[in-house]
Amino acid sequence: MEVDAFRRLFPVHYYERHLSESIRPMLDPWKKPEILLCPSVGAAASSDGSALAKISSITMLAAIKMEVMTPVYAPGEGSIAVEFHMPPICSPVVRSGRPAEVAPVTSGMIDLKELSLIKGEAAWMVYLDIYSLDADGALFDAALLSAVAAFSHGKIVPALRFRWEMVMVSEELEGEKLDKEPVNKERRKLLLKSIPFSLICILHKNHILADPTFEESILETFMTVVLNSSGLLVSLYKPGGPVLAHTSAIQECVALTRQRMKELKEIIDAAISTMEID
Amino acid sequence: MAGGASATAPSTYSPSPNQKKKPPLFKDGDLDWVRPDGREFHQCRPAFFRTGAVNAAAGSAYAEFGNTKVIVSVFGPRESKKAMMYSDMGRLNCNVSYTTFATAVRGQVLDQKESSSMLHKALEGAIRLETFPKTTVDVFALVLESGGSDLPVVISCASLALADAGIMLYDLVTAVSVSCLGPNLVIDPISEEESYQDGSLMITCMPSRYEVTQLTITGEWSSARINEAMQLCLDACSKLGKVMRSCLKEAASASEES
Repeated sequence: MEVDAFRRLFPVHYYERHLSESIRPMLDPWKKPEILLCPSVGAAASSDGSALAKISSITMLAAIKMEVMTPVYAPGEGSIAVEFHMPPICSPVVRSGRPAEVAPVTSGMIDLKELSLIKGEAAWMVYLDIYSLDADGALFDAALLSAVAAFSHGKIVPALRFRWEMVMVSEELEGEKLDKEPVNKERRKLLLKSIPFSLICILHKNHILADPTFEESILETFMTVVLNSSGLLVSLYKPGGPVLAHTSAIQECVALTRQRMKELKEIIDAAISTMEID
Repeated sequence: MAGGASATAPSTYSPSPNQKKKPPLFKDGDLDWVRPDGREFHQCRPAFFRTGAVNAAAGSAYAEFGNTKVIVSVFGPRESKKAMMYSDMGRLNCNVSYTTFATAVRGQVLDQKESSSMLHKALEGAIRLETFPKTTVDVFALVLESGGSDLPVVISCASLALADAGIMLYDLVTAVSVSCLGPNLVIDPISEEESYQDGSLMITCMPSRYEVTQLTITGEWSSARINEAMQLCLDACSKLGKVMRSCLKEAASASEES
């Protein structure tokens, strides 16, 4: 039987035959997975910070928009609303109208007290919208990366109290002396405390596949490990699946995530420094 | 999916300065005003097209006209759950959606159903539906940023994506719109100009065949102005058609080399 037909009719056997020889059939062995991070791409005009992250062919666009609200959860804190959208352009299995299945985690990266404007009365609400533009594998990694980059690009604009509302100080007025004192003085960047990095692995019998592609996703057992920049574990997510994970498998996945963290850290630092030069 | 969080979400507002009544772009009778981005009245924005933007799709294209950025993916021909009866002709299904940050105000819904049906009408005249009986071709468009003249850009980008997917077409479809601002006709308006327009005319045509697939006119127009606007649009459409063809040729030769 031809290889292609075998691949479509019996995908699991196809992969097992390759994995037993330690080959991953869908990956080109000479090509490293490419991670491209371009902050301030796309909707920079209407959002307050945006970034496009691309891991191999998975593309995610994240944008943050800051609006004012009365603080609900605690008087001195703002809040973040994360929404993950899978528009129908990204993948043949998504039909318009169906809700998204993956939701990234916000993990204490941003100090919420920073988002407060007037204690008890007004605070920033950050809307983070992540759009997947090309869904060709495990989405969580790219989504998290783009969210982190969008936040590092985001800026808090100065705002002052105008009657009962907060009004943004527009750029022409920034240098002049104003009648009312703005609540926060200059445009400042959002401070990120510790950046999370993630890696998705697939477990299959006694093989671990890191960063799976879309076709490999049929081997159903996923495990997502999120570490922060000091190497501490933020989240570990293994939602069922036909394969059970031994402690050794978990430790290997964490080690793989550590390696990935080094790669991603370099890329994020490079992207942030090119941004600051602009 | 975000239902739990949004049910108790506090209401927010954007802290932009008050929208006082903006001074109009030009005064009545003034024929010398300059467009906000410095273009001539009859000058279109530079167009950027790239095919193959989305790997997961059969065909896709990305178009950027100034601040208007659009991605279109084409899936198919494939089986459709909606089609119950056998049909000799294929079906076309179109959907246009906007990101929440596409406009200055977050979450402002911009007539998505109407745009979807207009996209459908513009494309169905150009696709050879009899080449894929029983199946459906899905065309999905996502407007990343709306900088004016969105629907024409979506239509042009969609026909490029259809060509990239290998769907048989009679010809590429290009679209251009013209706004009537007082005594002047400006082509390819940006959102600021569109908000002041007295009327608009959009033509979708197949440049090599010199046939129009869709004509949309809103506002008050005299026949002479309609003729003038149509001529402007058709010229612009044929130039745009050349740009799109060269983009396809580049993509084809690049894939031949690799």
